[in-house]
Amino acid sequence: MIASLFDPSFAESISRMTVPILLAALGGAICQRAGVFNIALEGFIIIGAFMAVLGSYFFGSASVGLFCAMAGGVFMALLFAEFHLRRAGDPIIVSIALNLIGFGLSTYLLRAILGVSGVFQHDGIKKISNIHIPLIESLPYVGKLLSGQSLLFYFSIIAVLFCHAFYAKHRLGLWMRAAGENASGLTSLGVSPKRMQFFALTVCGVLCGLAGAQLSISNVGLFVENMSAGRGWIAVVAVLVSGGRPLPLLGLVFLFGGVDSMSLRVQGFGWPQQFTEILPYLASLLALIIVSYKRLRKDWATKGIKIT
Amino acid sequence: MHENRVDLFGISVSFGNVCALDNVSLGFRDGEIQALVGENGAGKSTIMAVLFGLITDYQGEIVVNGKASAWRSPKDAIKSKIGMVHQHFMLQDSMTVLENIILCNEPLNYFGFVDFKTARHQVRSLLKEYKLSLDLDQLIEDLAVGQLQLVEILNLLYRNSTVLILDEPTAVLTPVERDQLFSALKRFKEDGKTVILITHKIDEVFSIADRVSVMRSGKLISSSTLAETNRDTVRSQIIGKARHKSSKRTKSQPTTPVLLLDEVIVPGLSRDERPLSVNVKKGEIVGIAGVSGNGQAALVEAVVGLRQTTSGAIFIKGKDVTRRSVEERRRIGMSYIPEDRQKTGLAISGDIIENSAISNIQDPYFSSGFFLRRQNMMSHAEKLITSFDIKVASPKHLAKTMSGGNKQKLVVARELSLKTPLIIVENPTWGVDIGASSFIHRQILSMRDAGHAILLVSSELDEILELSDRIFVMFEGQLSKELPISGATRAELGKLMLAKNSTSFGPVGEVL
Repeated sequence: MIASLFDPSFAESISRMTVPILLAALGGAICQRAGVFNIALEGFIIIGAFMAVLGSYFFGSASVGLFCAMAGGVFMALLFAEFHLRRAGDPIIVSIALNLIGFGLSTYLLRAILGVSGVFQHDGIKKISNIHIPLIESLPYVGKLLSGQSLLFYFSIIAVLFCHAFYAKHRLGLWMRAAGENASGLTSLGVSPKRMQFFALTVCGVLCGLAGAQLSISNVGLFVENMSAGRGWIAVVAVLVSGGRPLPLLGLVFLFGGVDSMSLRVQGFGWPQQFTEILPYLASLLALIIVSYKRLRKDWATKGIKIT
Repeated sequence: MHENRVDLFGISVSFGNVCALDNVSLGFRDGEIQALVGENGAGKSTIMAVLFGLITDYQGEIVVNGKASAWRSPKDAIKSKIGMVHQHFMLQDSMTVLENIILCNEPLNYFGFVDFKTARHQVRSLLKEYKLSLDLDQLIEDLAVGQLQLVEILNLLYRNSTVLILDEPTAVLTPVERDQLFSALKRFKEDGKTVILITHKIDEVFSIADRVSVMRSGKLISSSTLAETNRDTVRSQIIGKARHKSSKRTKSQPTTPVLLLDEVIVPGLSRDERPLSVNVKKGEIVGIAGVSGNGQAALVEAVVGLRQTTSGAIFIKGKDVTRRSVEERRRIGMSYIPEDRQKTGLAISGDIIENSAISNIQDPYFSSGFFLRRQNMMSHAEKLITSFDIKVASPKHLAKTMSGGNKQKLVVARELSLKTPLIIVENPTWGVDIGASSFIHRQILSMRDAGHAILLVSSELDEILELSDRIFVMFEGQLSKELPISGATRAELGKLMLAKNSTSFGPVGEVL
């Protein structure tokens, strides 16, 4: 039974589930830590997915597709920065607007540029190649998970680890944390928090663009209207639960993605679909309860000793 | 001739029509501690904001090291080695002490990664040089207030600041922490640094400063060395007229208890959860003294109804209110002047009219059915404003536009106007200038004389001694034995306030 759960297609599906969410969530986490409440990830992703297909189709190159996806994400991030940072718009309103724009604009351009509605599929769309790592590939069970995945799978994990080190050790990492925690403190030291937030948004745009590319030009080579299908929102939840810290974020997204792909599998055992479909949410809820219970206990512990 | 490190020539600042600074000239020397004193709103903070580049719209000239300078932002001031410790700390809570000290001035390795090894080494030698002690790896959120201040100061020293501006640094400190701060400041002075101390405590000026400058309503009144002046002169310069002695108090005639705490246990108050018992009778003021942070806030919250108690009972006017809400307690006959006017005392984004009626808004005079009677609220607000001499342009203005002292006056005026049998008063003159605080004291005393029961919690010893009929001292969540006002001396109270050993004040206590 275990073996049937962890077959090669499981490895493939787990990365398909997690990579877009992980990339977008990392972008959201970077914003969160810098003090930008960005819940427009969904809109960023869909533009990224569309631009990836567009670039890949017209230039016949997956690299150009990736580049276009990043540019699309950054374009959305710049809009966010313009309205939130420069014009002091409420981040929730700006986010809602950008999510709507992302959906509407991609649907409109699909019709205007490619002349189709609903789905665009073409052999001219070049896909991102998978990377095979010789020795690891032959390992039992994990071999298929760790090797032969999309370029972005490796990138996303490296990005999370790099981000962790960046916050702890890099000057800009410290400044970005300070911008999110006590912005006036940073100002009083002569560094503009807005600049840090702008930087965070731009990185978020790049990462969300890549998340979109993973959706549209990695496993499949097509664009579907509303392709992001709520992944941006799951990423937002992951950001909030992990408090924007990269490592817990990684664990959380893999938990969700793992249970999600397993839920497809256990349907094969005859479990009702209605039940298996709630599994990923159940797992997330459980993680949430454990996290908040731990926090509460810490709170009680300090209250018992400390006099307020 | 001795050149000044920093000179301010003819600085004027106006906000709209209000002239906040009027042609102020000040000079600061090397190796000098200069105190800048004055009431709230006298312009002390404004002139420092100009010097630190927070206000750029001014007339006049800043000269640093003999060079005329103009700041576009604090960044420029920092470059000229001017540093400021703000009243509200500017630290990053989830970062370590070391990270906070080096923030924005990090020594770098390669690709912008921070060289923490060098940084640690540099900060250690700084600590050694000034005989200070701090655990560099602790998180800021775990530190006591006195240590936070040290971190702020070290941040300035790490940047090699030669001019240190401290905005009311002792407001939040225990006496022990204050002494440590002052000895550190003296070492900075010996090292040739310029220290500017904004304060409104005259005792501090005379215990540490070399020079004192007095400001009043935006003007510089005097700037002289300590030898050239004395306490009374400075005091009268601050308030503009000789300070009248506190009103002669009549002996209290306490009768029936209005507030009774019977063996109450407030969770989290002390380690061994010892029960507390206090009563406050009609026509008396019971003072609870103590260094802030010893559980007074929790006790007040329990009395007011903001915090659950686990055992014992609380009675107001003989009614058991242990499980009653704040609103019910207020209806039975309680009013409350909280310490924090910004968060608890006022709804600062509401206007003054709303704020002056808010504690009894359900009164038919203020509301009927669904609707508020704005006319009546307005006239009530005007009454409070005139009777307490609150300085506002119009009651229609938002509460957040008032200065700190006037906010406090509004809270006191509102709560006292309820004329409830029981009044809970918590640090009523915290951060309030001398004129306003003696006015508030007179009002509280006259409420006592009118037969109200008052529980006064204050960390200002003078306030407790001036107002109370009976005194308790709170230390580590426990109350001392009762002291009648006649028998209480400053020395005895001080001993109780810092009872046992001083380990409770954190590790800096011993090392500094």
